[in-house]
Amino acid sequence: MRSFAHLALAAVICATALPVLAEDKPILNIYTYDGFAAEWGPGPGLKAGFEQTCNCTIEWTTSEDAISNLRKVQLEGTATKADVVLGLDTATSGEARATGLFAPHGLTPEGLVLPWNDAEFVPFDYGYFAFVYDKQKTPNPPTSFEELIALPASFKIVIEDPRSSTPGLGNVLWVEAAYGDRAPEIWKGLKPHVLTMTRGWSEAYGLFLDGQADMVLSYTTSPAYHAIAEDKHNYAYAPFSEGYVAQVEVAGVLKSSDQPDLAKAFLAYLTTPEAQKIIPTTNWMYPVIDLGADLPAEFGKPPAKVLTIDEAALAANGRAWVDAALAALQ
Amino acid sequence: MLLSPRSSNLVLPHRPLRLIAGAGVAAAIAALVALVLLAILAAAAGEPSRQSSVDVWHLVSMTAIQAGLTTVLSLLVGTALAWALNRLRFPGRDLIVGLFASAIVTPGLIVAFGLLSVWGRAGWVNQASLALTGQPLEVPLFGLGGILAAHVILDASFAARILLARLDAIPEKRLKTGQSLGLGAWRRFEVIDWPMLRTTLPGLAAIIFLLAFTSFPIVLLLGGGPANQTLEVAIYAAVRLDFDLRGAVTLALVQIGICSAIIIAASAFAPISASTGGSTPPRWRDGTAARIAQWTVLVFGIVGFALPLLAILIDGVGPGIIEVASRPSFWKALGTSLLLGSGSALLTLLLALGIGMGRAASGIPLLRVGIGAPAYAYLAVPAVVLSLGAFLLVRNAGMLPEVAAPLVVLLANALLSLPFALATLAPPLDAIAERRGRLIRSLGLSDWRQFTAVEWPLLGREAGVVLALAFCFSLGDLGVIALFGTEDFATLPLLMYRALGAYRSNDAAAIAALMLVITIAAFVLLPKLFGKLTDARS
Repeated sequence: MRSFAHLALAAVICATALPVLAEDKPILNIYTYDGFAAEWGPGPGLKAGFEQTCNCTIEWTTSEDAISNLRKVQLEGTATKADVVLGLDTATSGEARATGLFAPHGLTPEGLVLPWNDAEFVPFDYGYFAFVYDKQKTPNPPTSFEELIALPASFKIVIEDPRSSTPGLGNVLWVEAAYGDRAPEIWKGLKPHVLTMTRGWSEAYGLFLDGQADMVLSYTTSPAYHAIAEDKHNYAYAPFSEGYVAQVEVAGVLKSSDQPDLAKAFLAYLTTPEAQKIIPTTNWMYPVIDLGADLPAEFGKPPAKVLTIDEAALAANGRAWVDAALAALQ
Repeated sequence: MLLSPRSSNLVLPHRPLRLIAGAGVAAAIAALVALVLLAILAAAAGEPSRQSSVDVWHLVSMTAIQAGLTTVLSLLVGTALAWALNRLRFPGRDLIVGLFASAIVTPGLIVAFGLLSVWGRAGWVNQASLALTGQPLEVPLFGLGGILAAHVILDASFAARILLARLDAIPEKRLKTGQSLGLGAWRRFEVIDWPMLRTTLPGLAAIIFLLAFTSFPIVLLLGGGPANQTLEVAIYAAVRLDFDLRGAVTLALVQIGICSAIIIAASAFAPISASTGGSTPPRWRDGTAARIAQWTVLVFGIVGFALPLLAILIDGVGPGIIEVASRPSFWKALGTSLLLGSGSALLTLLLALGIGMGRAASGIPLLRVGIGAPAYAYLAVPAVVLSLGAFLLVRNAGMLPEVAAPLVVLLANALLSLPFALATLAPPLDAIAERRGRLIRSLGLSDWRQFTAVEWPLLGREAGVVLALAFCFSLGDLGVIALFGTEDFATLPLLMYRALGAYRSNDAAAIAALMLVITIAAFVLLPKLFGKLTDARS
C-alpha cells in the first residue's frame, strides 16, 4: 500500500508540475481537425518547425472536422482559448467571417499560386473535388457529368452527404458552378448511378477501395497518395471538361487571442517554403506556393480549368442548393 | 391491463433505501438530459429562429417503418437462434455465443463493411459465384434491404445472446418435470421457454427499435441515397450545416418524445419475470425434426452473422497489424480504451443494479416505469445533441473540455450500456423479488444480506454479461468525444476513424480486427469468470 501511495503522490506531483514547466514559454492554441494533428498528418512537422523559431509551444485541440471547430469557437465566443483556427475552407470561411470572431491578419503572403485577397484568412493548401477511379477496372472513364449520366446504370459512384461532409458539399457547389439552373437536372440524371451517399469521405473512399463502386467523389490529389505511399499507380481522377471547384484550406486568427503576434507569425510561417514542403505528402493536398522540384512528380499539374463560387451567392443560396440536390436524388 | 400488475399474493420485502437509490439514479439521468437540452437552448438565445426545411413527419414515418421492420425481424431471428443455441451442444459453442454477442458492441460501420466483404460487389459470395458459374451474383445491399440486413446482424445476434441467458436460467426442476411429461419440441417451447422469453422481449424490442430509429452511419452507408434517412441525420445537419441550435433541440424533442412513448409502452407491457437461477440444464434433446430445425437455424446464423465478423478479422490480419502495433499511439489508445472500458463497465453495473433493484422493490406499476424509463436516455437523445450539450455544460461549470473529456466519455459510455445492462439484470431481479420476497421477509434479511446471500449468487453470470457488454460498448463507441478531442486523449475507435480518414484503410482494418478480438475475448471470459466467482460463494 505504501508504494502505491508513493506512486500516486508522484503522479499527482508530475501532473501539477508539468503545466508549470510548460508555462515558461507562451502557448499557441490551435484548433484543427483530427487528421491534421495526427501523427502522420502535417501537425507534428509544422509544430517542430515553428517551435524552433518562435520560442513558444504549440498545443493542438482537435475536433472531428473543420466545421466542428467553427461551431466550437462560435459556442465559446470570446472566451475561447483558441488563438488560431486551422482547416476551415472556401465553403465555410464566409460563414466564419460573418461571425465577427476573426481578426484581420495583416499579412501579404508572397508567391501564392492562387489569386488571393482575403483579409481574415490565409490559405495553406488546396485541392479540387474530383471523381477518382481505378484505371485497370475503368479504362475509359467519363469525362463530364453528362457523359457519366449517359453511362449504363450499372456504372456506380459513391458520393458524400452534403449535410455532413466537406466533399459532399463541394460536389453540390461543383454541379452548381458548372450547370447553374440545370443543376437539379444533373442530379436527377446522376441518381441511378449513386450507389450510396455516405456520412463522410472516409466511408465513401473505403467503399470505393473495397471495389463496391466504380468511382468515388474525392480529390484530384488522391491518386498521388496511392502512388507515393503505396506505390500503386492504377488510380487517377476522371478529367471532367466542365472544370473543377477548389477546396482551399485556410487558417485565421481569433480576435480574442491573447497571443495575436505569435498567431500571425504562425500564419506567416504556414506559407513559407519550409512549411509548405511538409504539407503535400502529409495532408495530400497541393501546396499554395510553387515548390518546384520539392513537390513530388506524382502530384502532377493541378487541372487548368477552374470554376469559382461567389462567397455572397454561397451564403445566400447554399442551403437551397443542398436541398435541391437532395430532393433530386430522393 | 395497461400496466401489468404483479401477482396478487406478492410479498415484497420493505426496501425504502432501494427505492430511493433507484429513483435517485433515474431522476439524475432525467435531470442530465434536461440540463443538456437547456444548455443548448441557452446558447441559442438571441439567435434568430429559422424556418426549417425538414419534413419531419415524412422522416418520422420512414424511420418508424425501418425501425419497426428491424425490430420484428431481429426478435424473430434472435429467438430462433437462442432456441437453437440453448438446445445444441457442440465444440466451440462458447466461442459462437461470444461472437454473436460481439456484433452489437462492434461499431456499426465495421459490421457494415464486414457485410460488404461477404455479400458486396467485390465480396466473397460474388467472387465465388463468378469463379463457379461465371455469373456475378449481385445481392442488392444498398437501400432498405441493406439497412435491415446490417441492423439485423447487429441486433438479432444481441437479442439471441440476451434471450439465451434467459433460457439458460430455466430452473432444472422445471426442465425435469417437462421431460418426464414427455413434452414435444413445440409444447416445450410454449410451456417452458416462452414464459421466460416474454418477460425480456418488450424491453429488447424497445432497445432494438430505438437503436434502429436513431441509427446514423449505417443508414447513410447502406441507404443508397437520401430516400432512406433518419431524424438523427436531420438533427446532425441542423447543428453542423445550419448551426440552428433551436431547430436541433426541437427535432431532438420530437425524437425523445417518440422514443419515450416506445419505452413507456415497453415497460408497461413487460410481464414480470417468473423465475431465475439454474446453471447447466440437464441433457434433454428434442425430437429429430426439431433438431434438424435447430441445426439449420444455427448454420444459417453462423453464415449470416459470423461471416461478416470473420471477414473483419481476415481483412485486418496483414502488414497493417505490425505497423499499427509498432506505434506508441496505438498502445496509448489501447490503454485509454481498456481503462475507460473497465471504469464504465463498473459504473454501468452499479447504475443498473441501482435502477433494477429499485424497480424490483416497488409494487406500484407507475413507479416501476418511472424508475426504469430514464435508463434508455442515451438511446433517445441524438448523439450530436448530447455531445454539444455536454460540451456546453462542462464549459458552464468552468472546466476545460480536455480535462473533463475522460469523465464525460466515461459517463456517456455507461449511459449507452445502461439499457442493455438493465435488459439483462432487471428480469432476474424482478424474479427474485417475486419468488423469494416472502422468504427474505420471513428471514428478516437486511438489505445487504439480501444482496450478498440471495441476489448476487443468482446474478453472477448476468453481472458478468453486463460487465462484458458495457466494457465492449465503451471499447467500440465514439460517442460524445467529437467536440472534446485532443491529441493526448484518443480511444481505439477514434484512432481507427482517424486512420480511415487519412487513406490508411489497412491500419483501420487492423485496429478493427484487434477491437473485435478483445470484444470476443471479453464476452467469452467475463461471464464465465463471474459465474465461477459467484458459484463458489453460493
